[in-house]
Amino acid sequence: MTELLAPAGDLERLKMALLYGADAVYVGGRDYSLRANAKNFSIEELNEACEFAHNLGKKVYVTVNIVFHDKNLLNLKEYLQKLKEINVDAVIVSDIVGVKLAKEVGLDIILSTQASTLNYEAVNFWKNLGVTRIVLGREATREDIIRIKEETGVELECFIHGAMCTSISGKCVLSNYCTNRDSNRGGCAQICRWVFENKDKPDFTFMSKDLNMVEYLEDMINMGVNSFKVEGRMRSVYYIATVIMCYRKMIDGILNKTLTEEDKIYYSKILDRVANRDTKPQFYNKFPGVNESYFSDRVEISNQDFLGIVMDYDKNNKMITLEQRNYFKVGDVVEFIGPNMETFTYTISTIKNEDGDDIDIARHPKMIVKLPIDTEVEKYSMMRIKVFDKKCVL
Amino acid sequence: MKNNKILITINNLEDIDKLKELGITKYVFPLKGFCVGIPNTFLISEIPCDGYIFINRILDNKGIDDLREILHNMPENIKGIIFDDLGIMELIKDLDIEKILYLSHFNTNSKSVNIYLDMVDSVILSTDITKEEIEVIIKNAKKGITLFTLGYTGVMYSRRLLIDNYSKFYNIEKENPLVIDNTGHKFIVYENDYGTYFYHNKIFNGLELMELDAKYYFVNSVFMNMDDIIKMLNKEDTEIDSDKGFLYTETIYKLKGGSND
Repeated sequence: MTELLAPAGDLERLKMALLYGADAVYVGGRDYSLRANAKNFSIEELNEACEFAHNLGKKVYVTVNIVFHDKNLLNLKEYLQKLKEINVDAVIVSDIVGVKLAKEVGLDIILSTQASTLNYEAVNFWKNLGVTRIVLGREATREDIIRIKEETGVELECFIHGAMCTSISGKCVLSNYCTNRDSNRGGCAQICRWVFENKDKPDFTFMSKDLNMVEYLEDMINMGVNSFKVEGRMRSVYYIATVIMCYRKMIDGILNKTLTEEDKIYYSKILDRVANRDTKPQFYNKFPGVNESYFSDRVEISNQDFLGIVMDYDKNNKMITLEQRNYFKVGDVVEFIGPNMETFTYTISTIKNEDGDDIDIARHPKMIVKLPIDTEVEKYSMMRIKVFDKKCVL
Repeated sequence: MKNNKILITINNLEDIDKLKELGITKYVFPLKGFCVGIPNTFLISEIPCDGYIFINRILDNKGIDDLREILHNMPENIKGIIFDDLGIMELIKDLDIEKILYLSHFNTNSKSVNIYLDMVDSVILSTDITKEEIEVIIKNAKKGITLFTLGYTGVMYSRRLLIDNYSKFYNIEKENPLVIDNTGHKFIVYENDYGTYFYHNKIFNGLELMELDAKYYFVNSVFMNMDDIIKMLNKEDTEIDSDKGFLYTETIYKLKGGSND
């Protein structure tokens, strides 16, 4: 099994992630999830999510990964029973009480990275308690992963893309002290991105660059990693669709032995472009040093490549209906990406508003416009600024 | 005073005599090569008396292999082990020593504590919970609980060498530990080969927890002077800047007005 696992902060993101190539998604319920400020899912939405995913032959994992205080346990078992009833495929937990209760109700259990698991004996400990899969700590090296797999045979899930905690996950309560928000119950305020004074010395910062495993994806597949996890339940639909589509194409290319160096460079460029932070393989291939961290004066530039999402295609009139997400105008060279089509380039010749009048510019967020396009474009395809040409990136 | 129930970490072997005079006899020795955030650590052979070994590293495979060797050749004066990494649980199953689990920020509820108490002799509760929550856990626990009572509290543990990276980036002399500050939020940062550890810059004074019925009261002496600790235990006046941590201030679980309200 080689599973591409995507984050989803809400139903729209979940659908995008699955349509753009994820084999499974992980989502948070309204309670007990570490991304307390994501929109997250009600039980009804989780039910809809499971039906949507299962109809595609895909899976939904639900995070129940806070560190529980006694009063948080009041309805936990009933909640887990509901998750079982709506057929979620597994729960992701970090606290041992979550493991015990999930086992009692018959749910498959994935151990969260919050449990800081970095050695084979720790994996054995959880395996003996009935955990079926372990999300290793992001500090695991290549050699660590190989040996853990050999010694335990447990399903392993590894992060391949997205933000990194500077801390070993689960070992940080900086937010508790700086904001009174509980890091281990969904309140992480990303204190590791704050700037601290150090007397008369330069400011002290300790923020990590993001993770990117494009270079080692094939190696990880060959060593038997089972699930390839993308971080980012708070990220945009465009980010999720783009990242998932890139990794889908690379994983498929590796499995059917068609992935070229040119492909890897092309997808890496796209991945670099869609995020606004630098990426590194971090702990996998070497011990991270100066180049794997940010220091002062880092500027985040908002990415405005995402121009709109396709709502409909009128075959008779050869027109798409598009919901605008960023400014674009007549004459712009754009491209369309979608779940079941080859990316293609398009020069905007005409933009019509909802009344059918010609306009030069689509400037209002979420405004509905129509564009004439001969090629059929599926619902949920996306229009973005054309940035790279595959043959020109080498 | 319940000094015979105090478990205290040792920075300096010369402090042991002072502690004995107070009736404190349970000494915790940070094990060299298996700790983060602690400048003074000890080889097993350097431990001069009965004591507990302390291991707060999250171990990689090599760390587990190395520790297995040590644990299988331990002298009789090692009476117990205090540890964080759950892989160690597999190594000590058959060892006839006292086992105390210190899962740093976990162990915040009665049920988890009781599950672990089926495997170990005691657990140290997280310092991230209130006194009221501690009382509930003690009441529900099937064995005696250990309470973090005095000392600097750990707030973050990174595998990265953050001070080293910082010094290299700015090309400045490496200073270790550092005290860093963001608008009054101060932390002590200490690095060794195994990572970087942050402590809250105010000493946690939870001496009132000694009124509760616990198995042990844990005192973390790192970066503290033993004379100051003794004064605090004797409730004498000191200049020490201390606070009560979260004993009377509950942390926020969910923000009101958040998108998931």
